[in-house]
Amino acid sequence: MEPVNNEVTERQAVRVMRPESPRQAVSFAKRFRAPYIAGGTWLQPSCERDRQWPVHLVALNPDWPGFRGIQETEDGLSIGALTTLDELARHPLTALYLPPLSGLINRVAGPGVRHLGTVGGNLLAGGDLSALALALGTEVDVVEGKGSNRRPLARWFQDRPASDLLRSVTVPDCRGWGVSVEKLGYRERFSPTRATVACVHAGLQVQLAVCGEGGPGRLMVTEAMLRDEGIRELTDLAIVVDSELETLGWHDTRLRLAVRRMLESGLMEVTRGA
Amino acid sequence: MSDHYQVPETPAQENISFELNGEAVTRSAPSGETLLDILRESGQITSARAGCRVGRCGACQVLLDGRAVPSCLVMAWQLPGHHVETVEGLNKDPDFLSVRDALASESALQCGYCTPGFAVSLVAGIRQRRQGSTVDLTESVAGNLCRCTGYGGLRRAIDQLSAPGYPDEADGQGASLSEEQ
Amino acid sequence: MAHENSPGGVGNLVTLDGDSIRNATSGMDLAQRIEGRLAYATDQRDLSGLLYGAILRSACAHALITRVDISKALEMPGVHAVIKANDVPGLNCFGIVIRDQPVFCDERVRYEGDAIAAVAADTPEQARAALDAIEVDYQPLPVVSDAALAEQQTALHNSHEKHGGSNLLARETLECGDLDDAFSRCAVIVEHHYQTPRQMHAFMETEGGVAIPDGKGGVLFRVGCQSGHRDAEQLADILGVAHEQVTVESTVTGGAFGGKDELTVQPAAGLLALKTGRPVMIHLDRFESCRTGMKRHPVSVKMTTGCDAEGRLLAHKAEAILDTGAYASLGPAVLENYLDHATAPLYRIEAYRVSGRLVYTNNGVCGAFRGFGGNQATFAVESQLDELAHGLGIEPAALRRINLRSPGDAGSRNQTVRWTAPPAGVLAAAVASPLWSRPDTDTGRWLTGTGMAMGAQGNGLGDGLPDSGGGRISLSPAGRICVEFGFSDYGQNIVESIIRSVCNGVGCREADVEVLLGSSRGPDSGPTSASRSTVLVHGVLASILPRWMDVVRGHASRVSGHPEEGLAFGPGGVFFNGRQVLSYRELAESASPDEMAASASQDFPVAPDSGQPVGRYLQLQIATVARVAVDRLTGRVRVTDLHHVTAAGRVIYPPGYLGQIEGAAVMGQGMALTEDMTTRDGSYLADNLDQYLIPTFHDAPLQRVDVLDDTPEDDPFPVRGVGELGIEAVAPAITAAIEAATGVRVRRLPVDPGDLLVAMAAKEQTL
Repeated sequence: MEPVNNEVTERQAVRVMRPESPRQAVSFAKRFRAPYIAGGTWLQPSCERDRQWPVHLVALNPDWPGFRGIQETEDGLSIGALTTLDELARHPLTALYLPPLSGLINRVAGPGVRHLGTVGGNLLAGGDLSALALALGTEVDVVEGKGSNRRPLARWFQDRPASDLLRSVTVPDCRGWGVSVEKLGYRERFSPTRATVACVHAGLQVQLAVCGEGGPGRLMVTEAMLRDEGIRELTDLAIVVDSELETLGWHDTRLRLAVRRMLESGLMEVTRGA
Repeated sequence: MSDHYQVPETPAQENISFELNGEAVTRSAPSGETLLDILRESGQITSARAGCRVGRCGACQVLLDGRAVPSCLVMAWQLPGHHVETVEGLNKDPDFLSVRDALASESALQCGYCTPGFAVSLVAGIRQRRQGSTVDLTESVAGNLCRCTGYGGLRRAIDQLSAPGYPDEADGQGASLSEEQ
Repeated sequence: MAHENSPGGVGNLVTLDGDSIRNATSGMDLAQRIEGRLAYATDQRDLSGLLYGAILRSACAHALITRVDISKALEMPGVHAVIKANDVPGLNCFGIVIRDQPVFCDERVRYEGDAIAAVAADTPEQARAALDAIEVDYQPLPVVSDAALAEQQTALHNSHEKHGGSNLLARETLECGDLDDAFSRCAVIVEHHYQTPRQMHAFMETEGGVAIPDGKGGVLFRVGCQSGHRDAEQLADILGVAHEQVTVESTVTGGAFGGKDELTVQPAAGLLALKTGRPVMIHLDRFESCRTGMKRHPVSVKMTTGCDAEGRLLAHKAEAILDTGAYASLGPAVLENYLDHATAPLYRIEAYRVSGRLVYTNNGVCGAFRGFGGNQATFAVESQLDELAHGLGIEPAALRRINLRSPGDAGSRNQTVRWTAPPAGVLAAAVASPLWSRPDTDTGRWLTGTGMAMGAQGNGLGDGLPDSGGGRISLSPAGRICVEFGFSDYGQNIVESIIRSVCNGVGCREADVEVLLGSSRGPDSGPTSASRSTVLVHGVLASILPRWMDVVRGHASRVSGHPEEGLAFGPGGVFFNGRQVLSYRELAESASPDEMAASASQDFPVAPDSGQPVGRYLQLQIATVARVAVDRLTGRVRVTDLHHVTAAGRVIYPPGYLGQIEGAAVMGQGMALTEDMTTRDGSYLADNLDQYLIPTFHDAPLQRVDVLDDTPEDDPFPVRGVGELGIEAVAPAITAAIEAATGVRVRRLPVDPGDLLVAMAAKEQTL
């Protein structure tokens, strides 16, 4: 990882660079150790809170090819990283591929923030969409210094240089899969996530992921157990889920209990009839 | 290795041209300045108000290209080419007038500090509905906080605005305690 | 309004529904508010030469200050003045009860919101930049963070002889009867600990406003506040000027709830205005507001309550600790009201001893907040009653019915009280709520349950505190009937209520009335707090309207030549034989304004008992029925319905009454479910509305407000203030409903979903 730029300034002195291309954006980000900004709904509150702003910001342009919009590809559904959360929610392809999202989206941020905030920003902040994206086995298309590159989101989360620029994510063709997603917030709307839990029944196997106070993660150990032993033994499942969550960084035992129950409920939902 | 790009001169201050309530305006402002401050510093706009400055209360809500957004989260550099509307510019808009009348007749406000923000969100919701969206009007105010009313009057006002054919055939029936699902 | 026969045949029960609102709403300034045209305190930018002020806050929760150097800040661009403690010409301290809070700290800081210096500059950014250039050296002191241990730790105010070098700011005990004997005869005794949170007011407009120098050494303040006259006195003492040189105009304020009762930005703004000779605006941002502003006193109490085998309450004991934070503010008065409510004022109890200790800590500052300690006590008291009912195996409502006071009984402090309906009638109406008839489902994901609680609330400052207020009525040159009170308007519908009373009394129309509030140059009405304004407004108007009408009628008779007896007031003017003979404007033009004015002041009604009055004379009641759904997966609680039965006298302005109850109830729900400004080592763990979460539209329940109005025709105080009533019983009603849904009784607020889930899981195991 490159060292984070320690130089900070006030809001009024921030310089916003407007690169002409994604490659140029990556170049600026590296050279000035500057963060990218798209909707800015996550960056601004944290800078306001600390009263410290980066000296430079690299503005991303939704008009760059592939950065905004939703389309079907042969690999599944491709979603531009600069697509706003509201555009995602309203798009007909979302209803086709990801019906559970319509139930979740009203509980992701507030309506005003959803008009500004982007899919990429939500994923990078470990927001509500990250659990769903991880459980679906989403892949990311990333612009780097040398070119662009495609890899699983889960792997990218583990080792992500700050200058990596997310162009789009590709969700596999999940039509016909069982998908469930559930959020626990502090209140009914406009709450940071305490725990968002996604369960996907992808044909033969079950895929599980969480995000929230313990951070985003795919529950690989639990998935393996389910693959090997089926999902009938829920008491065993509880032990495995609990220990895997703790390993991932979920240290509040009470919250783990809630996540476990949400997972169990989600599993029942997605495997019903399977 | 990738430094072959020419780095453009990037001033912290720039001339920002956008449309405000139907009129083209140009303001000199820091790139990072919030739309909220740009509006208020003009002295012409008082309806957008700082409540949190982190986009979490809705008191500074304005319409940006017709969508309700917290103006404290919109930065100056994002404005060029866009259209901003505040209630100062909506005061002849029939949707705004319906919203205003519903809020007033149901006594949906007390201190009123948050109310223009609610009105903007509701106008956006009504416009969306007209474009065929089935989104519940109550969802359009999910990002607006009110500390005075407990939202009772707002619920009644939204019921009024949600009546079939409103405003022409509004029957003004509020939700009753016993009608919960 | 929907009329019903109330259960048990008691009184007039009316539901305030949409129709009663729509027919009554006065559109007067609502449109202005909706269109954003009303100028709030923090909107006043069009003042010539306006400077922006900013305040340097402490970096430590508790420390000695060894050096404050402002020299670099003075050199910063745009800076006009930098001031600190030695620039305060008058008293460097303030506080409503005890002046123990420094305007600027010079030796010691006691919380993270303490002010050390202030800057005035051309722009807010320049002011803030200058703050960063002020150098302060601190020598940290041990932080007093646990109220229970505070008395054993370093005293925050060792210079105050009054506190004897201890963090115990006040202690008080209320008692009656032989407690030991009463406990010895109890068949069931329950003892539990209860804890309530450090709730934040979270008014939407943060503290702010302007101070404008008059060029002659005086200052005019236009700042969101609750008590213009009292603020003017404190500010004159700080500025070192005569009281007449300070004017406070409390302009339109974006919410207060008690959080603007104490001085906020005024001292710094006033000092900077005098120093620079220019108007100075200070508007705290939400971060600073969270860090520095008042909060609700967190209370930790152990309560022991016993009854005999028939359910009669015999003995009740409470030992409470209230954390007042670094300064007293209204803490001692909050303690008194807490204890008053801890005596369980609605119920007959043979013997009680309730005691409380109010301690200083480094946890921010606590002060006035809607409910004023009362709702914290009611949460514990009502929970105890449910526990007793459970112990006896009877319905909670049955236990209450056995013990409720009857009209004619004395109050819990043995004072005379005046109710507007029998408590049994309020209970009966709550028991008849449709919410009970919905089945409690225990299958599936959501567990539902219904619970109730009751509360009593008195109007007025109480316990013999000086409490009076006045008002004035005149005919303005433009022909408007001009009514002046000193109260502030922060959205509590007081204006509409005054207009309604004047229209009813005079027979004029709304457009004939003009209301002027909140100027310290106008009549002194006392603080806008303790639900006292409505009572005083009504009392004062009842006294001055007839006198004023006599004066004006006499004058009209002379001008018009018609006999006084035949003249009547009506819409727009004075009538003779049904015909308007003079408009109010013509009347106004025929005399000087002072000729047609009347004013009066009256003491707040207290019990006509001999000796020092105790407790509250004018009593209100509420019963709240809550219905909740608890998520079996997560422990998350949704309040789906709240049904309130209120008895608070006559309803003058239905939208105001309804809005006050609904708004207070949702505030109480926030306190019950999500709101707590927690601290660690004296630092708040939340600093804005993305971390401190108040209810949204979708958190708010459906509500119904019923009014049981049996106010006697001859009641001299038929109108009561309901600003705080709605919050009184919400929290215990919610926890009772949670118990009905899950079998788990929660005694610590806000309800922690994780703890609740674990307790629910334990219950499932034992099933």
